[in-house]
Amino acid sequence: MSANEADDVTTGVLEEGGSAGRGVDRAYAKDLFRRFVEHRDPALREELVGVHLPLVEYLARRFRNRGEPLEDLIQVGTIGLLKAIDRFDLDREVEFSTYATPTIVGELKRHFRDKGWAVRVPRRLQELNLSLTKVVAELSQEIGRSPTIAEIAAKVHLSEEEVLEGLDTSNAYAVVSLDAPAGGEDTPSVSEHIGVEDESLEALEYRAALGPLIAGLPERERRILYLRFFGGMTQSQIAARLGISQMHVSRLLNRTLAALRAGLLADEETE
Amino acid sequence: MPTSTSTVHLEIPASGAYLSVARAAATGLAAQLQFTYEEIDDLRIAVDEACTQLLARRGSATTMRVAYHLADTELRVDVSIEAPDRGDPLPRDTFAWQILTAITDEVSEQTESDRLRLSFRKVGGRT
Repeated sequence: MSANEADDVTTGVLEEGGSAGRGVDRAYAKDLFRRFVEHRDPALREELVGVHLPLVEYLARRFRNRGEPLEDLIQVGTIGLLKAIDRFDLDREVEFSTYATPTIVGELKRHFRDKGWAVRVPRRLQELNLSLTKVVAELSQEIGRSPTIAEIAAKVHLSEEEVLEGLDTSNAYAVVSLDAPAGGEDTPSVSEHIGVEDESLEALEYRAALGPLIAGLPERERRILYLRFFGGMTQSQIAARLGISQMHVSRLLNRTLAALRAGLLADEETE
Repeated sequence: MPTSTSTVHLEIPASGAYLSVARAAATGLAAQLQFTYEEIDDLRIAVDEACTQLLARRGSATTMRVAYHLADTELRVDVSIEAPDRGDPLPRDTFAWQILTAITDEVSEQTESDRLRLSFRKVGGRT
């Protein structure tokens, strides 16, 4: 999508009051910007993110057919949104949404380019990866802990090297359909301790960029981050608690961290 | 099988594009030490995190060194980058530090006169 085309999309959507335009009250956003530019208050920044999230969602949806979960794309797009918010100059005679669109789209494109997710994974590796996912789950059940590479190799009658190749694929490409969560994502047990957990997360002085990124994560991803890095739980323990597989926890964790790191390094580049 | 004192050295360009190489090496070596799948995953996250932290402070450095020290059941990973004028130690109150300490058995950081160094140790065969 060219920058021009992207502009048209946004303008069109906003004017016709379509899905992306919904909820973006321009006068309100403008007032927020005025206050943000003056005080640089992180809370205002977060509010600006919230107000413009529909735009990110709309743009992220355009990349949906590339095999990446929409929520991950939204996360990546939000990084672009943050950059645009920080750089937006009120004196410019353009709407923020018009200004932000190329930045958000650029971030999404860069994401695919960097991760090589647009590349097709050889069928052999896709199949290997699918069978490994199954075998790891079975073996974990059997032995009561995560299996070693040698144990996996013995089970599938492959060399350790081949198994490693297959496992490398699992986090590099989104080729495996993720198993759905066992329960709803917002069951009471999930939301219960969120307040307490948020405090722990916020007690850390992150780099300015990380706070809003973490705040913008879907609840389940944020919870997994908390349980693994602050709650001292292993991936398997988290998997059992959330009713999903350990490999699913692994993928969510890896993707979330990749998105957070992308934000961190991108910030360094522009500082 | 590695002996109890093997060390593998890796030198890569100081760019995020080469992190996959550092990760792949860690994965292969941990497999030899009978790390479990989950421990290997943690190890990969830790390698990513340590390397990213140093890359974020790379300044004009062009290469990054990663040393893998293999012992009977543990792997120590030592990441370092040239840093002539950037002797600031890695702050402890960051999310990065929290991640590293949560998923490895020991994290340490040494700032030498001309190198920034971040090391961690992970014991395998347990979970």
